[in-house]
Amino acid sequence: MTTPLHTPAVLVDDLRKSFFEEERGEVPAVDGISFEARPGEVFGLLGANGAGKTTTLRMLSTVLRPTSGSATVMGHDVVTESEKVRQSLGFYSASTALYPRLTARETLEFFARINGYPPSRVPARVDELVDRFGIREYEHGRVEKLSSGMKQKVSIARTIAHDPPVLIFDEPTVGLDVMNAIEMVKVISELKADGKAVLYSSHIMSEVEKLCDRIGILHRGRLLALGTLDELREATGEHYLEDIFVRFVTDESGAAGALPGAFGELESDAS
Amino acid sequence: MNLREIGILYRHELRSALRERTIVVNGILIPIFMYPLLLWGMFTAVTFVQGLNDGFASRIVVDGQLPAMHSELRDSLQALPAVDVVDDVDDPRAAVAEGRIDAIVTLRPTDDETAALPGNFRVDIAYDRAETRSADARARVEALVSRWRSRWLADLGDDLGLDAAERGVFVVAREDVSTARDFTNVLLGYLLSTFLIMMVAIGCFLPAIDTTAGERERSTWETLMTVGANRGSVVLAKYLYVATLGIVAGALNVIALMVSIGAVLGPLLGESGASLDVALTPRAALVMIGGAVLLAMTFGAAMMVFASFARSFKDGQAMVTPVIWLAVLPILVGGEPSDVNLSTSSATVPILNISLMIRDAIRGFFVWDAIAVTLVVSLGLVAVLLFLARRVLSFEEFLTGSFDGSFWRFAKQRLFARRSLSDPRPTAR
Repeated sequence: MTTPLHTPAVLVDDLRKSFFEEERGEVPAVDGISFEARPGEVFGLLGANGAGKTTTLRMLSTVLRPTSGSATVMGHDVVTESEKVRQSLGFYSASTALYPRLTARETLEFFARINGYPPSRVPARVDELVDRFGIREYEHGRVEKLSSGMKQKVSIARTIAHDPPVLIFDEPTVGLDVMNAIEMVKVISELKADGKAVLYSSHIMSEVEKLCDRIGILHRGRLLALGTLDELREATGEHYLEDIFVRFVTDESGAAGALPGAFGELESDAS
Repeated sequence: MNLREIGILYRHELRSALRERTIVVNGILIPIFMYPLLLWGMFTAVTFVQGLNDGFASRIVVDGQLPAMHSELRDSLQALPAVDVVDDVDDPRAAVAEGRIDAIVTLRPTDDETAALPGNFRVDIAYDRAETRSADARARVEALVSRWRSRWLADLGDDLGLDAAERGVFVVAREDVSTARDFTNVLLGYLLSTFLIMMVAIGCFLPAIDTTAGERERSTWETLMTVGANRGSVVLAKYLYVATLGIVAGALNVIALMVSIGAVLGPLLGESGASLDVALTPRAALVMIGGAVLLAMTFGAAMMVFASFARSFKDGQAMVTPVIWLAVLPILVGGEPSDVNLSTSSATVPILNISLMIRDAIRGFFVWDAIAVTLVVSLGLVAVLLFLARRVLSFEEFLTGSFDGSFWRFAKQRLFARRSLSDPRPTAR
């Protein structure tokens, strides 16, 4: 389930989402962002808490409906073809827990089946995942009895159980200890090598720096910059991603202007 | 909606639920053991209390004198093994009120037009109606005086030359034309129409909360919302799972009652001369099963709608409990009097209609047009509730769990509001 290289797996165009609050009225959470993610690429969304990362990813996973703009996943529109979109992606976040009373194996079988993986191939797929993530010893143990590390492995395995071409990881290392966080980063690298298009959101600079092929810096719902790490370095003159991020965020109003052409050039490179 | 998806989700829900101890206990074990234990406990307790009361001697203060020709009555009273005549009690009325003695028996001459009759007297009994032991004392004294009166009248009759046959006129004879089966069906109709509702409601209660509020509490809600299934399938699968456990609880409840009513209640009733004959006609069984299914469908849908607003299991319990009371209310108000039957008008009241339909069927009454109205009303209510459940799920605040309020707040702010607090357009498809 992969698409030809350079064909965007995820295409986001002028996507907006606003919420209405009684006290504040219409509050924009995502304000006209555009980007794309290609197969075999990890696209990072970097931003502080409240920047709009989760809202963006929830729109892509069809949990939220865009206020305006459009987005497609594997060519399927998130509004009009939501089921196909969900079947084409795996969504992992801190708020997507596992069913505690199911065994690890039952969990993988359930997610493979419900996401439309061919029924006859489900047992083989589950065996493959069990071996890949080293959970053979615990496959018949209930999830609630597993250690947090094992739960994390099962959780990643269930995300890719139906072998989706697009994977969304929303702050996946939140709450994990160092070893599990390293394991997570390793798994995502492997998924990239498998040709998956990975959308990765985080506020942890080192992870983004290590993992992402291209990075979008999101602040207050707006995409302030987008490009490879080298391109961002070149555009800002800063070396470390943290400094690059701070530079964009503190000079939000003038960032694009201070770096003329950066957006346009990077976007044209990306297409 | 897609049958394959519904099947996968339904099996997933059932498998998960059958591993949860509280759901198994409430949905399966309680319905099985409730009747045998309840009936056994209830009748054993009644028998025990009766035995205790029978074993107590009535403490009686006797005041006044009897005419000489009736002086033996006083001796008879004192000779009763169940009566203990107490002397030297200060302020006997206060002693009755305080429970130190059970009754005050005052023997005195009559002061009305019967005073002229030779040897006539009257007995005044002061007792405390609120105390069983005191009421028993009154009954014992009354029974003794009544026996004394009969014997006295018999002696008078003998003196007048009336034999026993001549004195035994104006006999009232009673004949119960009901069969043991009729009696059993009345009992079954009462017990089943009331307890079946409770059991089906209890059977639906925890699953409805577990599959909605429980998902939020365990943070599996968003996991489920991002799977590649139609959200209508998700709602329907969850609903079918809740209704299934309600039906299972109802079916087990019926079976347990049928078995236990003969085995437990039969011997206990046998002591009082009554007998039981447990048998249902196929038609009654069919109506009863249909009623249990309708109850489960109604409760399942209603409870899911309310529980879907809860963020935790505890919240869910608080939000769904009123549904049980709302359901039981019509039964308490109108279901009990035996002259209330299922009619086309009573069939328009949800839950009560099913209760009456079951009770009438067990007793052998089938009012088919009223049963048809019951079916239409119940299925109509289920359809409205499911539509509501689906509608609730179409609001993105429910998908993300950001809505903080009850069903009533949702109805006010979202369903009937001009302006949605969030995107007014439904999200889910």
